[in-house]
Amino acid sequence: MKRALLAILMLLAAPARAEDLVSGISQDIIQITSNYTGTAIVVFGAIEQAQNIQGRDIVVVVRGPDEPMTVRRRDRIAGVWVNNDAARFEGLPAYYYLASTEPISRIAPPQALARYGIGLQSLTPSAIGSHHDPEPFRQAAIRYHRRVGLYAESPGTIDFLSETLFRTRVPVPAGVTRGQYNVEVYLFRDGEVVSAQSTPLFVDATGLERRLFNMAHDAPLTYGLACVFMSMLLGWISSVLFRRPE
Amino acid sequence: MEIYLPVAEMSVNWLVLIALGTGVGFLSGMFGVGGGFLMTPLLVFTGIPSTVAVATTLSHVTASSMSGALAQWRKRAIDFAMAGVMLVGGVAGTLFGVWLFALMRRQGQMDLIVALSYVLMLGSIGIIMLRESLAALKAYRSGESAGRRMVNRGWIQALPFKMRFRQSRLYISVLPPIGIGFLVGALSAIMGIGGGFIIVPAMIYLLRMPTKVVMGTSLVQIIAVTAITTVLQATSNFAVDIVLALLLVSGGVVGAQLGVRAGAKLRGEQLRLLLALLVLAVGAGLLWQLVATPADVYSLSEGRP
Repeated sequence: MKRALLAILMLLAAPARAEDLVSGISQDIIQITSNYTGTAIVVFGAIEQAQNIQGRDIVVVVRGPDEPMTVRRRDRIAGVWVNNDAARFEGLPAYYYLASTEPISRIAPPQALARYGIGLQSLTPSAIGSHHDPEPFRQAAIRYHRRVGLYAESPGTIDFLSETLFRTRVPVPAGVTRGQYNVEVYLFRDGEVVSAQSTPLFVDATGLERRLFNMAHDAPLTYGLACVFMSMLLGWISSVLFRRPE
Repeated sequence: MEIYLPVAEMSVNWLVLIALGTGVGFLSGMFGVGGGFLMTPLLVFTGIPSTVAVATTLSHVTASSMSGALAQWRKRAIDFAMAGVMLVGGVAGTLFGVWLFALMRRQGQMDLIVALSYVLMLGSIGIIMLRESLAALKAYRSGESAGRRMVNRGWIQALPFKMRFRQSRLYISVLPPIGIGFLVGALSAIMGIGGGFIIVPAMIYLLRMPTKVVMGTSLVQIIAVTAITTVLQATSNFAVDIVLALLLVSGGVVGAQLGVRAGAKLRGEQLRLLLALLVLAVGAGLLWQLVATPADVYSLSEGRP
């Protein structure tokens, strides 16, 4: 009898438990042009079969392509600061932005955050080039990216337009790397993820910038000669223009 | 006012860079130097990675040297034979320098090597120039003409493989010019300089070339070395940014012409004194960066080492 009651209760609860998430982004491609100085995208979403506002949290994570990086530590040797120790990391993103309804430490326990890779402290390299104590180097990598604005955590930046409709503005600074980004939206209920959605975002150079970058890497000889030719031509033009009547 | 640099992969204010090119061009026109030794540290200071700064400054030097060399060519003041011999050493030196550059970059010691080379080079040349120009000024005030210090050329005369350099009216071994060419080629690749402030004293004091062909011949040598280094840097390190080069060169060639005019109004000794002070100031600034405690002892470089 008790078991039957429980089954009925669960059945009743089932549709309500399926709190779901739909999300989207304002643009799915960011084009780097010659006057690109950074931009912003808007991530928006709606909660379907919404329940109680209490205990509900939204986390938006935008993660850039992984980039190998080398962190070096300088030490003072003979009065001069010299790069003395280094750690190589693979699998850390070139860009990481997190927006959430609350500071993430209040949303879920650290293990849950680590499981989903949410938060700067959950960023762990997939491979570490031989180093006995990589942790200070990992912290330094995070610190560096925060300083230049490529990593950020912004709690309290998700605006609710109604009880179920939300949006947030994600800055994409000038120094971003080209490649595929992922926009992940998580719906938390009492510290557990109940729904998540991921949307790709592409950052790419277009037009002349792209052609020049490609040329520098695909046809470096022509590119180098073009640089030299341009310099010599401008040098010659200036000497003709400024030539004094003798 | 922002423009995106495709190789440096960053946005910069293009007005600042054109102004930088004009300013350094002005000084290089005024003092008759390429200006690489000023441009590279200044670019690094504006946040451009030192690898891109070193490789791209060379274009600026090529352009301003081109402008100066054409003026000398019209006066028939170029010893092409000497320039050609020096270039043999220059090509070898450049190849060595680019190889060393790539090696240092992998080791993570690029910035240190660039900074140390600068401090040593600027410090010693600045002090030599300062002493020389002060002595010349003093001599001028007391009404005497400053006699050029004689350097013992005995060992240079004793070297084999002698060759006649008609324009310079010299009959000397090809080894010293090749050696000087090698040194300047290597420094050009590592430091992003043309090396005028090494070639010119070497030609005057070591090779004893007549002063009237020194300027033109050194400019031809500088054009060739910087052109070759630019191509090598582009092919082996992918570090040349053509948009950055265009900005620097556009400002630089105009600045250089204005500088030549301003320089004509000042006396030689005064010019050399000012240049010596400038060289010492840049050297001192770089030395300070090496010894001052950094804000963060950790630094990061992206991409594969």
